[in-house]
Amino acid sequence: MLILKNISKKLGQFRLNDINLEISEGTYYVLLGRSGSGKTQLLELIAGLNQSDSGELWLDNENITHKKIQQRNIGLVFQDYAIFPNMTVFENIAYSINSGKIDKNLVKERVTKAASDFNISHLLGRDTKHLSGGELQRVALARTLIKSPRLLLLDEPMASIDASLKDDIKRLLRRLNKQGLTIIHVTHDYREAVSLASRVGVIHNGRIIQEGNPEEVFRKPVNKFVARYSGIRNFFRVGFKNENGKWCAVSNEKIIFKLSESSYPEEGLLLLRSDDIKISHEMPSFNTGNCYKGIVKEILPSEYGVEITVDAGEIFYVDVSADTFKQQPVVESSEIWISFPAEAGIALQGGN
Amino acid sequence: MNRNGPFNWILLVLSSLVLLFLVAPLLGMFLKTGVGEFFETAKDKDVQASIWLTVWVAFSATFFFAIGAVPFAWLLARKSFPLKSVVQGIIDLPVVLPHTAAGIALLGFISRDGLLGKAAASVGFNLVNNPAGIALAMAFVSLPFLINSARDGFTAVPERLEKAALNLGAGRSRVFFTISLPLAWRSIISGFVMMFARGMSEFGAVVIIAYHPMIAPVLIYDRFSSFGLKYARPAAVLFIIVALVVFTILRLLSETGKPVVTKDEYADS
Repeated sequence: MLILKNISKKLGQFRLNDINLEISEGTYYVLLGRSGSGKTQLLELIAGLNQSDSGELWLDNENITHKKIQQRNIGLVFQDYAIFPNMTVFENIAYSINSGKIDKNLVKERVTKAASDFNISHLLGRDTKHLSGGELQRVALARTLIKSPRLLLLDEPMASIDASLKDDIKRLLRRLNKQGLTIIHVTHDYREAVSLASRVGVIHNGRIIQEGNPEEVFRKPVNKFVARYSGIRNFFRVGFKNENGKWCAVSNEKIIFKLSESSYPEEGLLLLRSDDIKISHEMPSFNTGNCYKGIVKEILPSEYGVEITVDAGEIFYVDVSADTFKQQPVVESSEIWISFPAEAGIALQGGN
Repeated sequence: MNRNGPFNWILLVLSSLVLLFLVAPLLGMFLKTGVGEFFETAKDKDVQASIWLTVWVAFSATFFFAIGAVPFAWLLARKSFPLKSVVQGIIDLPVVLPHTAAGIALLGFISRDGLLGKAAASVGFNLVNNPAGIALAMAFVSLPFLINSARDGFTAVPERLEKAALNLGAGRSRVFFTISLPLAWRSIISGFVMMFARGMSEFGAVVIIAYHPMIAPVLIYDRFSSFGLKYARPAAVLFIIVALVVFTILRLLSETGKPVVTKDEYADS
């Protein structure tokens, strides 16, 4: 288990502030944050590349706060993989075990095995300069994991590879985690957290502002920043009202949202996930709780299919899958109905 | 060239004039030197000895000072410390000093009254008028070329590569010898060649420290001041040819070996 107790570190104008974390063995922990939020600095601190100004770092009941980087046995894969360009793939993978203390035949055997585990046996004799992003990623993982680290740290592992290769890498990382490897993965992309994490933390300005399992963090974001990081794009400033025992929210533009929970603050933000909103050409006949007529302002292709911007008094962003869009084609400036269940609304007090 | 009109023609003319200014005196010197007198000078034992002395002393000075200068360059590239810019200014000082003044300063240091000279004298060694003193004079004026080039080479090596090596369990010295040094190698060799070249061609500082034994630039000056231009010219031509051959060989050697990746190339890969 990795424990960070009140870790603080000043780096120029930036400061990691009072970081507290507990990551159990076998966890796939995704730390979400914008660039400059301190996530890479935190990884480097855990790895031992930097020392904290205060606080303690424990790994498997051992205080490693002041332990040298070489003695921590924590693997770190950098965002651009940091593959040594003056060495072949073999020499890169062998680097951590090829210090003259291990028999050369054993080094060869272990490198061959690691390369085979990551499907890069055919690259072993190659120069690293012309490898693809996915190949470099595998070389970096093989190089790091050959020394069986106690913990694997990944800095934006998907940032430098083609979209088509991301699924392969995700499968590979899931497999490693299933084999018992504890992974801390930092990223700015919430979709990586959704698809990989067993726990999620959101870091902002050097502080961890929310932590929990992905469901908790993405369904109950503590503030607008986390909500944005969870991929939520629909935010409405509202007043909450209880009428005859039923709660509703009224936006500045006088749109009334029906809600399902039993208590709400007086005012705040109402959040709505884009993929919780459905579209139809006719008014939905079933009772969805909320349905509004609007004008299609914009249609943009998205990873999910298309993103439709609808003006229904408030601006709604709706994610529609490619299949749905094919079945119900929509054109800009046309009228359309949008609907979503009362349970879809997420209330945030204050709304910062 | 025609596509951009007069501007490119102006560039061409100006560039040609500058190039001509550099080439014409050398070419004139070569053309005015007769083949007979050239070969006669080449057979002259004094000339041969002075050229050989120049080459090996310059090479030795570069080699021995590189042992300290290269790690120093890494330090400058990687570490922040108080008064770093002052240190950098001190390194560049020999480039702006008049070389005779540098020679005078160095003489005060290595003569029998100076700190180093006294230490050398205590073991029966006189640095003045000695190849060791010549090496010190050459190194004094040429070290900035090696340090600055090596420092730029180390700066161009992405620090993440060194961090990755540390994370893989390597000690600081292993990281230096397996990552930093091989990746900055080309800049270091380039600085080495520049320091060597600058050392070989040094006159002002060396002539203060050691008129004898004569290095080639001092010998050429000696022949010019004693016997005139005609007598000095073949020795100058011979020295230039030897210098060109040596530099070409060193450059070719530095081109071989594994390619070195710059920060930008690394980012692109």
